Amino acid sequence: MLNYLIRRIVGIVPVILVIALLVFLFVHMLPGDPARLVAGPEATLQDIENVRRSLGLDRPIHEQFVLFLWHAVQGDFGNSLKTRIPVVEEIGLRLTPTIWLTVCAMAWATVFGLLIGVASAVKRGRWPDYVGMFIAVSGISFPAFWLGLLLIDLFSVRLGWLPTGGFESAKSLIMPSFTLGLGVAAVMARFTRSAFIEISREDYIRTAHAKGVYARAVIWKHTLRNALIPVITMVGLQFGFLLGGSIVVETVFSWPGLGRLLVDSVAYRDYPVIQAEILLFSLEFILINLTVDVLYAVANPEIRFK
Amino acid sequence: MRHMTLALAATALATAVTFGAAEAKTLVVGVADNLTTLDPPNANDTLSAGAQRNIYQGLYGFDSKMQLEPLLATSYEANADATEFTFHLRKGVKFHDGTDFNAEAVKINIDRVRDSKVPTKRQSLVSMVDRVEVVDPYTVKFILKEPFGALVNNLAHAGTFIVSPAALAKYGKDIDRNPVGTGPYKFKKWSGDLFETVKNENYWRKGYPKVDGVVFKSVPENGSRIAMLQAGEASFVYPLPSELAPVVKANQKLEVVKVPSIIIRYVAMNTMKKPFDDIRVRQALNYAVDKNAFCKVVYGGYCKPAEGPVPDLLKYSTTVQKGGWAYDPAKAKALLKEAGYPNGFETEIFSKNNSTYIRAMQFIQQQLAQVGVKATVTPLEAGVEAQRVWSVQKPEDATVQLQYGGWSASTGDIDWATRPLFYGQSFPPKLFNVAYYKSDVNDAAIKAGIATADDAKRAAAYKTAQEQIWKDAPWIFLTDDEILVGQAKGLSGAFAAPDGGLNFEKAEFK
Repeated sequence: MLNYLIRRIVGIVPVILVIALLVFLFVHMLPGDPARLVAGPEATLQDIENVRRSLGLDRPIHEQFVLFLWHAVQGDFGNSLKTRIPVVEEIGLRLTPTIWLTVCAMAWATVFGLLIGVASAVKRGRWPDYVGMFIAVSGISFPAFWLGLLLIDLFSVRLGWLPTGGFESAKSLIMPSFTLGLGVAAVMARFTRSAFIEISREDYIRTAHAKGVYARAVIWKHTLRNALIPVITMVGLQFGFLLGGSIVVETVFSWPGLGRLLVDSVAYRDYPVIQAEILLFSLEFILINLTVDVLYAVANPEIRFK
Repeated sequence: MRHMTLALAATALATAVTFGAAEAKTLVVGVADNLTTLDPPNANDTLSAGAQRNIYQGLYGFDSKMQLEPLLATSYEANADATEFTFHLRKGVKFHDGTDFNAEAVKINIDRVRDSKVPTKRQSLVSMVDRVEVVDPYTVKFILKEPFGALVNNLAHAGTFIVSPAALAKYGKDIDRNPVGTGPYKFKKWSGDLFETVKNENYWRKGYPKVDGVVFKSVPENGSRIAMLQAGEASFVYPLPSELAPVVKANQKLEVVKVPSIIIRYVAMNTMKKPFDDIRVRQALNYAVDKNAFCKVVYGGYCKPAEGPVPDLLKYSTTVQKGGWAYDPAKAKALLKEAGYPNGFETEIFSKNNSTYIRAMQFIQQQLAQVGVKATVTPLEAGVEAQRVWSVQKPEDATVQLQYGGWSASTGDIDWATRPLFYGQSFPPKLFNVAYYKSDVNDAAIKAGIATADDAKRAAAYKTAQEQIWKDAPWIFLTDDEILVGQAKGLSGAFAAPDGGLNFEKAEFK
């Protein structure tokens, strides 16, 4: 297990390097001159040249890449072209709110998704199944921006209970994490349900029932445990996506998250921010994949690392 | 998992910043974007300038009607050919760090903006200045390399706000995070979506400021921004999109403030390329578009037909045609026929890809179709649009046929509303003459207009220019915008100027 972990972690390094190169090339291939975009709509040619020089964009591209790598290794991703604030600081400022939002949304979504999924599977074809799946389908179908604005109108404007947006207190987490988590909970419920039903048709479950194991123990210990494998994969994937920030929820609730930062920096051709953010997302996905693999073993000891 | 949720919620509560406990007298402003910088000569967006205006001031400023207003200067004199300007400065003004404001401070600031070793984005505002002389502690003289009649306007622009010389020396490049000025509010914090200032107790204008501070919160989603106003979390929101104005109007505690702006909307036609090299085609397209309908459809009625190539509110603006260019599709068809296009032609119109711009282009597409001109609408992402317009080095390589756009002359002077857009030497990539329009009469007039500081002479020169431009029709002249602010009824003195610049110096809660 330890060997396996070390091998996996060492394997991350070349992957990150390749990603860094790809991201760098991709970003510089985008049409649009960052110096002009940074200098703004009214800038004169002279103003734009000043900006280009001050940002180091007048150097040859390979030189820029080597500099980028050299600084990145030292944890320095340069300054945002737009705000001149260090990229690490820009991202740090939004990483905490993004993690909060992701963790809260994932936490409630996973718990409720699992419960609804199991309930629907166990009582399939009866009312808990219909209610559960009705909720799940609605959850997937609700457009987040619409739900978000409805919530704001009800809880902030009419009732005055919750702030309309921003990240200022625990209260401001409630509506965004609910909105963000709803879709995840729905997917989770459907996933758990089908995985659960599939496992419950297995021979060993029938055997368990036949040998007189309590129904409750069959559900929680035998069936769920095995059904968890695809569910864990799903949780990992969703977690990774949400860590990338959600543009819709961040916009509706003025949430200072990474999704909006990425969209803004693409619009501005803010190279350093785009590069650092995509690298961060890649790293997050790699780490989540690793964690998911380890969790497989925890959920099902029969999975061995080879 | 449940434990985790509880633990997280508990930590969140513990680390929470108390919300809603802010002093009732702090003015919270909801805006659409994040600020880009707090260093005046490096800001190119109206919003950052508006935030800075709380902290900083220039020698002059603009009032709510975009008229010049003396701030750190009390008066000025200029010589006849606009090459020397002498400013008399306000006495007894101190920067927030206690440094005295005087002629030396002005010199240091202007030299910083134009010094090419420290490139700033707004260098062009003072690049015509040859030197700044300190005459005495409260008199400063600008000597220019060439005549420039709009200097005072450039010194009223946010790019030439005066920064404390002591702070400049102390913070160097980091002045953008540590702004120190003479304004009504002192800088407290800027981080991500939030910008905070507090009252300057020693402000030079007696009796002001009347609120404890000004806070900007950036809320990109229009509906959420209006919800902040409705929920009482903000007392002033800008911009207020026209489609949400009825929501604010319906609320008894709120009001919509309508501000005529200096933003003009137009479609530039590439006058060097067929078919737009024919003046009859350009006139025809002007006749083909119903400007009043454009206003209603695209801007919810909050605009008015352009009556000249320069927005009404700018000084020296001429009403060339009352009510705007007439809407007359029959005449448009006749002109097209005369020009050799009896069945119209195919063309392309491009612009930015936000929903308002797309709506505008689609409306124009529909109007042009009525006279047989089939236009394809191409919405472009900002960077791609910039590439398409400005990567062109030679006019003949330009791929522009029609471009929909808007222009706001941020110096509030007519020079910046004509020279970048219509001057024969302002073709991209140098400036913004996307129509590649060149007229000797107009070029001479624009040159004459900036070569003097004499009111009558400038007025005459720009009248000639505007009439010539209108006649040559390098644009489809559409509308002058109106901008909308939503605010709490108890708030007074806060305003958005006609260029969208925010001003809270005299803000007061009743």
